[in-house]
Amino acid sequence: MKKIVALTLSMLMVAGMAFASGAQEESGITLMQNKPEIDAMLQEYGAAWSEANGIDVTIKSVGGSSGTTLGQQLRADFAAGEMPDIFIIAGIEDYREWEGVILDVSDEQWVDDTSVAFTVDGDVYGYPVSIEGYGMAYNADILEAAGIDPATLTNLDAYRDAFETIDGMKDELGLDSVVSMAASADMGWVTAHHNFNALLSNGLPYGDTSVVEELQAGTVDQERLSQYADWVELLFDYADETVLTTGNYDDQVGAFATERAAFLHQGNWVDPNMESANADFPMGFAPHGSLERDTNGIFVSAPSFYVINSESANIEAAKQFLNDMVYTESGKDFVVNEAGMIPAFSAIDQSPSGQLSQSVQAWNAAGNVYSWNQYQFSGEFRDQTLAPIYNRFATEQIDKQEFMRLMTRAFENNAE
Amino acid sequence: MHKFKNNTLTFWMFLAPVLFAFFMVVIIPFFVGAFYSLTDWNATARAGATLSFVGLQNFTDSFTDPAFIYSFGFTTIYTILNVMVINIVAIAVALAVTSKLRLRNAYRMGFFVPYLIGGLILGYLWQFIFNQAIPSIGESIGLFSALAEPDNYMLSRIPTSMIALVIVGSWQYAGYIMMIYVAAIEGVPQELYEAARIDGAGNWQQFRNITVPMIAQAFTITMFLTLVNSFKQFDVNYSLTAGGPATVFMDESIFGTELLAMNIYNTAFVGNDLAAGQARAVVFFVVIVAFSLIQVSYNKRKETEM
Repeated sequence: MKKIVALTLSMLMVAGMAFASGAQEESGITLMQNKPEIDAMLQEYGAAWSEANGIDVTIKSVGGSSGTTLGQQLRADFAAGEMPDIFIIAGIEDYREWEGVILDVSDEQWVDDTSVAFTVDGDVYGYPVSIEGYGMAYNADILEAAGIDPATLTNLDAYRDAFETIDGMKDELGLDSVVSMAASADMGWVTAHHNFNALLSNGLPYGDTSVVEELQAGTVDQERLSQYADWVELLFDYADETVLTTGNYDDQVGAFATERAAFLHQGNWVDPNMESANADFPMGFAPHGSLERDTNGIFVSAPSFYVINSESANIEAAKQFLNDMVYTESGKDFVVNEAGMIPAFSAIDQSPSGQLSQSVQAWNAAGNVYSWNQYQFSGEFRDQTLAPIYNRFATEQIDKQEFMRLMTRAFENNAE
Repeated sequence: MHKFKNNTLTFWMFLAPVLFAFFMVVIIPFFVGAFYSLTDWNATARAGATLSFVGLQNFTDSFTDPAFIYSFGFTTIYTILNVMVINIVAIAVALAVTSKLRLRNAYRMGFFVPYLIGGLILGYLWQFIFNQAIPSIGESIGLFSALAEPDNYMLSRIPTSMIALVIVGSWQYAGYIMMIYVAAIEGVPQELYEAARIDGAGNWQQFRNITVPMIAQAFTITMFLTLVNSFKQFDVNYSLTAGGPATVFMDESIFGTELLAMNIYNTAFVGNDLAAGQARAVVFFVVIVAFSLIQVSYNKRKETEM
């Protein structure tokens, strides 16, 4: 009996020591990110970087279409005292949550090479992972056949004419509908996030949040809203009803990829879908036509940022890891060619292979860009309050007047 | 005496791991959850530091939220329909596979298999059937051309979406309930049927007066399982309709096919209002317990002792 007790105790001690030493071992850095689609490439790049620099790198990817989100994982890891050295924030909301452990990186070299770093009061905190953009993706072949120059699509009237023209030639062009738009319950992010942003930022200087501030104060510019409502109605009217009301992401993107729709209301993230559908027709982005006046730009943003954990034991290694993605050949190659992202740094001059990504890069290079302001509103407001309104408009339960009234009231209630 | 003590020790030692797990994953979280429902917990990293009591605020807010009230009503109707359909289907197929049908074991397996498929996958699968397969029947067969009309898609209207949810829920769960009925039906002594046949009872009379009373115990269980499961339905709801299409209730635009579990999920994890979600979960729990107690005590009274 005694032997067993002694054995058990000694095993416990060994186990205890093993755990203790495990906790003390802090060489190496951990990076947590939220793009499962680039996980394999990042693992590979991390391993290569680790070998070259003699610092262990652990990559953790969470998120995707289902399961735990990055935020939930971070909260769990923070509570467990296992906060990663580099992690992702999406914007000011996340920054406020993690403010206490985010390192000020204003002195880093890459800061001078980007215009979209995450800053608060002039101090730089976030390293832009990539650039993403969206607008009205168009099929250049179909537009050419219909005699429409995409460069003229810069306002509501131009879109009205173009949609009417294409709609009249649907049979000839082999189309189901003019535009591939989705507004079903699980596509609320297309309407109440992306499309909603046209109301918030179209035509305003980059970073201008004046409309957002007005709306958050409950003041609604009825003229701007009315033009926006016309734009939404136009998109809904010329969309395929099944894709619009019951379709999912695959249905929406598929209709464009298989040339059954001339326009697609999505962003450059559909490039991989286009590739897997063998859609090799020429395509690009045109601006949203949510205003009567000309708005010659698409919505571009760095939607997520790497930040460094200020409590990390390996801050220097973490800084170097981020720097190397901008200034080493293998880093540049990873960002552009392996991960297929649009680089957010002028020091990287390669272009990704996707046509829509190239289009975003071109709009960005020309400086014709409008902000993503939708994240200034809470997820609950967008998903629970606005999305049902768009859905009712799409399913023709309400008309434009009622849509405007409901939107106005939503903003007023939100301001209270 | 010595032996007795030894037995007690062994008893508790065997029970300890289970008790430990039960306390850790059921009892403690339950009370912690109930506690959080009285606070303003909203999932920030430093929840402990900023937590403050708000009394019953979360509960009163929930009961003035149109989406919550609507989803309560919607869930109740869904539950009634679903319990009815599942049990009728289950007992019908149970009778079929306990009769002298050829290949009855193959049928049993066939009916049971859907239960083994995850609800999320089932939802996406049936979404494809409702959105693609059925309309394409309409497109290719002139007689059914109405099926291809966008307005006639099952998932484009709320009442038909509800029916779609019931169809998928029943398809998934009826096979499992069938198994319980099969076990009960096979336990009914054959003499009773023989005696009834000699007295000239028909099939319906035998079913009504022998089978039903004799399997009343099974009804207690199946009713309980279907009731609780329908009430808790989440995954099929999430993947099949995602809450859509939207509707209007108390002059608010809300999602029209959002069952309670999904409403709770959305409140907690989309709206990031964990305390309110927790409060709704507490209400949800109380309602389920109340419904099940009523149902079980009702069914118990109907049971026949052999």
